[in-house]
Formats: sequence, structure tokens, C-alpha cells
Amino acid sequence: MKESCTFDKLVELHSAEIFAYVWRLTRDPQDAEDCLQESFARAYKAFGRLNGNANARAWLYRIATNTTFTFLKKRKHENGRIVEMDPDFFSSGDGPAENASRRETFAAVARAVEGLPARQQAALVMRKYQELSYAEIAQTLGCSEDAARANVYQAIKRLRSTLEGHFER
Amino acid sequence: MTSKIVGTDRDLAAWLGDIGESCTPDRLTRELDRLFAGPDQSVLRRAQVRLEVALAPACYYDVISGTRLGNIFVAASERGLMAVNFGIPEAVFLSSLKRGVKGRIVRSGEQTAEIRRQIVEYLDGTRSSFDLPIDWTIMTGFQRKVLEAALAVGRGRVATYGEIARKIGRPGASRAVGQALGHNPMPLVIPCHRVLGSDGSLRGYGGGGGIRTKAALLRLEGVNLG
Repeated sequence: MKESCTFDKLVELHSAEIFAYVWRLTRDPQDAEDCLQESFARAYKAFGRLNGNANARAWLYRIATNTTFTFLKKRKHENGRIVEMDPDFFSSGDGPAENASRRETFAAVARAVEGLPARQQAALVMRKYQELSYAEIAQTLGCSEDAARANVYQAIKRLRSTLEGHFER
Repeated sequence: MTSKIVGTDRDLAAWLGDIGESCTPDRLTRELDRLFAGPDQSVLRRAQVRLEVALAPACYYDVISGTRLGNIFVAASERGLMAVNFGIPEAVFLSSLKRGVKGRIVRSGEQTAEIRRQIVEYLDGTRSSFDLPIDWTIMTGFQRKVLEAALAVGRGRVATYGEIARKIGRPGASRAVGQALGHNPMPLVIPCHRVLGSDGSLRGYGGGGGIRTKAALLRLEGVNLG
């Protein structure tokens, strides 16, 4: 794929899904745009080293993942901020008590996700929301397919145990 | 494969798409779907437009007049040389640039000074190889391999299409090599004129003036065409 593919074509083919990916990891519009641009800037620099046989999509995810991890570590260090929530998101026909409860649940889930090891969060997003195969996730994270699968399942199990008290079963 | 699914939560596996079953969403998976909702189309479009602008460098061009090849046009981005052409009118050069370049196109003597100087030196015979950064993003991976191999053929030397093909690990691809060389965006600097048929024939040349120019350049370099 790479031999007949220019860098611009790679951008055209994959910028939408890479944006969705970094959006899901950063959960902030400006941060997502910054990570998108930084990821493709790095990809451009490394483009000459991309092997003719390599999976370009997994290669881009790898760069985007590393870029976003670095960014998130820095963000956490700088302001310890978690995701900001859109208050309108929670208004519904229900009364204020229900909305408050919904907001609290959302915050608890967001905190629990932020508390996941970065690789587990990334693996979960890649599998469920970006629909990458375990083989592609393995290439992205630089691990075996078994480890990729384990990262995804462990993410959920961890979220479940962290949030056990929160949801009525 | 199945032994990894048996014994784990089937609904989880179904939610992940690991087994071909529908799943009953639970509170957690519903909250996760909400947390991980993707960007709106409008947000995505804006990000893509900004990405394109961020990645598209400006393109600078200028002309060297009065050379033995006539007017020689050159164009470069911040990444490096993008185009060299001659034997065509300026308007044709500019319109082909516009087709390939997303960023602004600006005439600049300053940004192209080094390129122009080196080309003049080459034509004067005082320079045997070019020392210029090249913008490879305008080429496919295959083109790049072919043109990098051609770059390695020094002044006064020649190679065959077959040799280039073997050099890039694609023996038998001489025809594709010929085509890639024929679409060389920067003749002179990338010396596609130094690549011949295995019988020593010139075969073709994509630069202005065609085969006659190829022959003239080889003679300029002191290559005996017999």
C-alpha cells in the first residue's frame, strides 16, 4: 500500500479516524486538534522510514497514540484537569435531582477512565470505537495480540470494579 | 481462539464485537458510549481543514533565464526542491504547479537563490553534484525509490533502467522504472538523463526538448554516446 501512496493520500484516507481517536482520548476539542496536527507532523517526518509492506493505518495509530500519551501526561501534570462536561448534555425532561445524579455518574465514569493505565484506555478505544483488529492494536501498542486483547478486557474489568458501587445492578 | 472467549463475559465480548452476537447494554457500557461519543461532522471538518493548512507548505518559484536550455523554472517548498522544468512557457509551469501544490505559490528570488546558483554552476561545468534538500512528499514511495537511485548516478556516469530496477529490489520492473523517471519532477537535479536502455540507447526523456536534451546533457557531462 505504501509504495503507491503519497503522504497526502495517507492524510486524506486516515485523518478523520485519527481525529476521532485522539478526540476520544483527550475529550477536549482544542487538545484533539493539537494532537491531530502533532501526530501528522511526526508522521510526515517519519514517512520515509515507513516500510513498503507495513500497515500504514496501524503505523499512524502508533504515532497518534504515542503523541497523545505524551500530551496527556503533560496535561495531567500541568493542571490535573479531567474532562469538562457540557451542562446542556445532562438536561432532559427529568427534574434536577435526576440531572444531578446523571452528572455525578458521568463524572464518576470519566474519573474512572482517567484512572486507567493509558495503554488500557487506548486499547479499549481502539477496539470498541475505532474498530481496529487485535492485530492492529498489537502493532500500535508494540505488544502481542494476546496482550492487546488482555488490555481491552482488563480495562473494562477495572472500570467495573471501580464503579461497582455506583450503578444499581 | 474460542478458548479465550469461553469463561469471559459474553456480553462484554459481544459489545466489543469479538463474537457475532448482539449484546444487552448495561449501565457501564451505556455511559462509556456516551463518554466516548465521537466528534460532530462540523468539528471534524474544521479540524481537517486546519490540518491541511498546517501541513501545506508555501511554494516558492523563480526562473533562470538565458541558459543553454532556455528559461529554467524552479520551485521549492519549505521542505525542499519540488520542481525543475525548461522548454515550456512560464504559464504552463505555473499551472502544473497549481495542480500539485495546496499551499500558496509565491515568486521569490531569495527562497530559490541557492537552487538557481547550483543549477547555473552545474551547466557551467563547475559543479558535479547537487547539494539540495528535496521535498519527497510530492512523490509516491516507488517514485522516491527510483529517483533516489537515479540521484546516486554521478555526473559523467550512466546506468540502465534494469540496473536501477535491481538496485531498488524490483528486478523486472524496468518499464515501471522508466515511467517513474519519465515523470521526474526535477530533471537536471535528479539525473534521469543518466539512465539508458541496456543496449545503450537513450529511450526517452521527460524534460523539455526530449531525447535531444538528454543527449546534450550527457555530452555536456563528457559521456561518450558512441
